[in-house]
Amino acid sequence: MNTCEGSLGESAGVHHEVSSLTAAAHELKSPLALVRQLALQLESGDVTDEQRRLVQQITLTSERALRLTSDLTRSARLEDALFDVEPINPEQLCRDIVAELAPLFEAHGRSLAVSHRSHPLLLVANRDLLRRIIMNFSDNALYYSQPGTAVHMQIVALKKAGTVRVGIRDYGPALSADMWRKLQKKLKHSPQSIHARPQSSGLGLFIASQFAEAMQGTIGATRHRDGATFYVELQASRQLSLL
Amino acid sequence: MTKVLLVEDDPWLAELEAGILTKAGYDVTLSPHAPSAIVAIDSVKPDVIILDVLLTGSTAFALMHELQSYGDTHATPIILCTNMAENLKLEDLASYGVKRIVDKTTMQLDDLPAAIRGVLL
Repeated sequence: MNTCEGSLGESAGVHHEVSSLTAAAHELKSPLALVRQLALQLESGDVTDEQRRLVQQITLTSERALRLTSDLTRSARLEDALFDVEPINPEQLCRDIVAELAPLFEAHGRSLAVSHRSHPLLLVANRDLLRRIIMNFSDNALYYSQPGTAVHMQIVALKKAGTVRVGIRDYGPALSADMWRKLQKKLKHSPQSIHARPQSSGLGLFIASQFAEAMQGTIGATRHRDGATFYVELQASRQLSLL
Repeated sequence: MTKVLLVEDDPWLAELEAGILTKAGYDVTLSPHAPSAIVAIDSVKPDVIILDVLLTGSTAFALMHELQSYGDTHATPIILCTNMAENLKLEDLASYGVKRIVDKTTMQLDDLPAAIRGVLL
């Protein structure tokens, strides 16, 4: 009985925390959108090259913050709303995201690319949620990759599991063993704040794990000598095999 | 000259948007909230209304509901300009006279003039 009460109390506490976070995220949208508009207005005027570079950084930073607030408000609606899942070509989706994030990566002296597959794979997902997960991983990779390196999006089929994995590989400092253990533990015990890397709250990864879970998928990470791959794994679509 | 009523409760954003619209050749009237918008609609008779959703006091929905109940305002096209665009569907709002939804979090400087041109075609 005590265990049950404790569990419910904890759940209510988590729910309250998420609600407060969502409300805060929504409140932040207006000032962030205003900052972005003011920066766009400034950029459209007569400014020096250096001023233009700085104003573009304000625009890109406010857009990054707006994506996070949007993800937070979206995650709060997961339980309330039904959403469609459909067969999706993740490579095409990744290419769209690359086009959208190219200015941000360029401003940070990095690039983003998709590894091409000659035989496209399909997975079953909600387009909006999958897009948010990949954007999130890309954002994470941007800030932990070395300047001058390329972040790669890779799509592989895991035939035994019947899933497709979309991974975002960055090239940066290796995660310490201690940090890696913490990350693995947190990835398996959501909802909690996931400490993705040093100096990160891991909020973005926590949201990504919620989105993946809502689609019966999982997220995870692979540690490399020179960086990491964060991935989402979702059910493969059988649409092509039925043709 | 096309008359635009801009209902926006953030004064800095209102000033910025009004500046863009004026530069684009529109005659802009600003209202910071729903009650002042009703007064402005009576006096200005706008060709199009640009409306924020979460206003101080009454929301845009109360205002739109009221406009739909009057014979001389129910056909005035409305463009919602909001931070809540991802939560709204145009087809759900068509009966309120909403013709376009512009997302404040992603809009570019020329999106509002383009939306006006689109609804007045």
